[in-house]
Amino acid sequence: MGPLIPHGFINPDLNLFFAFIIGLGFGYVLEQAGFSSSRKLAGVFYGYDFVVLRVFFTAAITAATGLLLLSYLGWLDYSILYINPTFLWSAIVGGVIMGFGFIMGGFCPGTSLVGAVIGKIDAMFFVIGMFIGIFIFGQFYESFESIYLGYGLGPIFVYESLGIDRDLFVLILVLVALTAFYITQRIEDKVNDTPINVRESRPSYAIPASLIILAAVLLLVLPSSPRNSWDETDAETILSEMAARKHYTSPDEVAFSIMQGKDYPALLVDVRAPEDFKYFTLPGAINIPLNQILNRRWESTLLNPEYKVALFSYSDTHAEEAWLLTRRAGYKDIKVLEGGLNNFLHTVFLRDIEPERKRPDCIEMHTARFQKEAKEYFKMGKAIKKVEKAPTPVIKIVEIEKPVSGGC
Amino acid sequence: MENKSTSYMNSYLAGFLLGLVLIAAFFVTGRGLGASGAAKSVVISSVATVAPEYAQSHPFYAEFFREGPGPMKNWLVYLTLGVLAGAFFSGAMSGRLGLKVEKGPRISSATRLVFALLGGLMFGLGAQFGRGCTSGTALTGMAVLSTAGFVTMMAIFGTGYVLAYFFRKLWLK
Repeated sequence: MGPLIPHGFINPDLNLFFAFIIGLGFGYVLEQAGFSSSRKLAGVFYGYDFVVLRVFFTAAITAATGLLLLSYLGWLDYSILYINPTFLWSAIVGGVIMGFGFIMGGFCPGTSLVGAVIGKIDAMFFVIGMFIGIFIFGQFYESFESIYLGYGLGPIFVYESLGIDRDLFVLILVLVALTAFYITQRIEDKVNDTPINVRESRPSYAIPASLIILAAVLLLVLPSSPRNSWDETDAETILSEMAARKHYTSPDEVAFSIMQGKDYPALLVDVRAPEDFKYFTLPGAINIPLNQILNRRWESTLLNPEYKVALFSYSDTHAEEAWLLTRRAGYKDIKVLEGGLNNFLHTVFLRDIEPERKRPDCIEMHTARFQKEAKEYFKMGKAIKKVEKAPTPVIKIVEIEKPVSGGC
Repeated sequence: MENKSTSYMNSYLAGFLLGLVLIAAFFVTGRGLGASGAAKSVVISSVATVAPEYAQSHPFYAEFFREGPGPMKNWLVYLTLGVLAGAFFSGAMSGRLGLKVEKGPRISSATRLVFALLGGLMFGLGAQFGRGCTSGTALTGMAVLSTAGFVTMMAIFGTGYVLAYFFRKLWLK
């Protein structure tokens, strides 16, 4: 199901609109949390106010566990989320320079925007400084390039880097965060000499803390996700559909669709290797090799309701494998050419047409006429010109827009 | 001091809500949050307006003109417009609007502004190396468990703690 825009549930043109809406929430929460105040922010380094640590870590563990739970439920396809790539030295150098910026300026970019817009003059100076800093990077880009682009490790995960299980890492992260909350509260009280009555009037965080631990433990002990995605079909349904053999389409039906062209639109999908496809195939067929059948670029082609889709290979073995894959991924109404190309050739080209009986019934008569017509049709090469009338697959992929590199 | 801080939202509640905003961002658009990217777009657009040919030929700036609708019609720019509107709304609701220089008691406003400018400069520069700032790389990166997110977060805060002693005059009583 999610992410909604890359999966096509929401028109990508609305992307920028949603950016604005999400920004509203982001700005509102940052301001409400007190992030427009540089002295509150800097407090994290001196122990008199740990609001940064609390907000930051609570958001991180909420989002980390939440995203994994959504992914577990099959509501979010984690594999297409944008994972920021790791350039090790650049990340460290950048982080150290940003550390200087934080302690000197008392803001980070997001919080400075929040401060500036409600009238903090120091935040406005910070924002101006930020423009200058980015400009300096641009001017000296060539000398920075080797650090900037060096040690590119790709979009790697921290649990891979540490060599531990993902869900175990999340549990440890949650426990570390909760411990940090406890300890920093003690430090804060000591530094500020908080009176006892204020300390005791604080709400108890036992319930929210237990809930987040529970969520992390749940992720750890649950077996691997029953469904990889929202649309996935379960095994029993697929087996019963296979047993009913309703996913087959007969050579005659395929021949009929080729002969009728756009009056009976069908998309024939050759799942054999590209070499075989080039050598020969059915008129109007397109080639999607078996191993690419679930590639996202073909999704809209295979799911287009304007035509029927029939998969074929030499026999029906590979086509049926392709059908299984697509069915498992939740695609519906895709057919398999029964017996594959071999059966098609035998049926349409080579079969003997029964001579018409003296008093044939209506169906027999029509069948015999159709068979004869089909045989001649294909033998005469009439099918070839139908190629241009075959439905042209509409290929539309919604890519996640890559963030401006170096932006954040 | 204590009275004032109670007018802010509970930090854990704010963090939880921020986490939900982050999840919503990923759920709808497949990507997280960011704040310094928009500043970069502004810088690039400005350079391109002042010196278009230079921007087209420069490796750092030209990247943003090669493809797409240009640096300003960008996800992060619209996100940032939202941040500004949301923060203004929040500040207005809670009666926190007003021009003011916030500083430690031991320094003058001029000193504070010079250091704010320098801090912004460092952060702007660092965010380029880090491919994002505290929200874009550290927070968003930690939410999806990326190595870059954790490394950047530790580098930012680690450096802050190492330097805290030397800059204490800026902030402490």
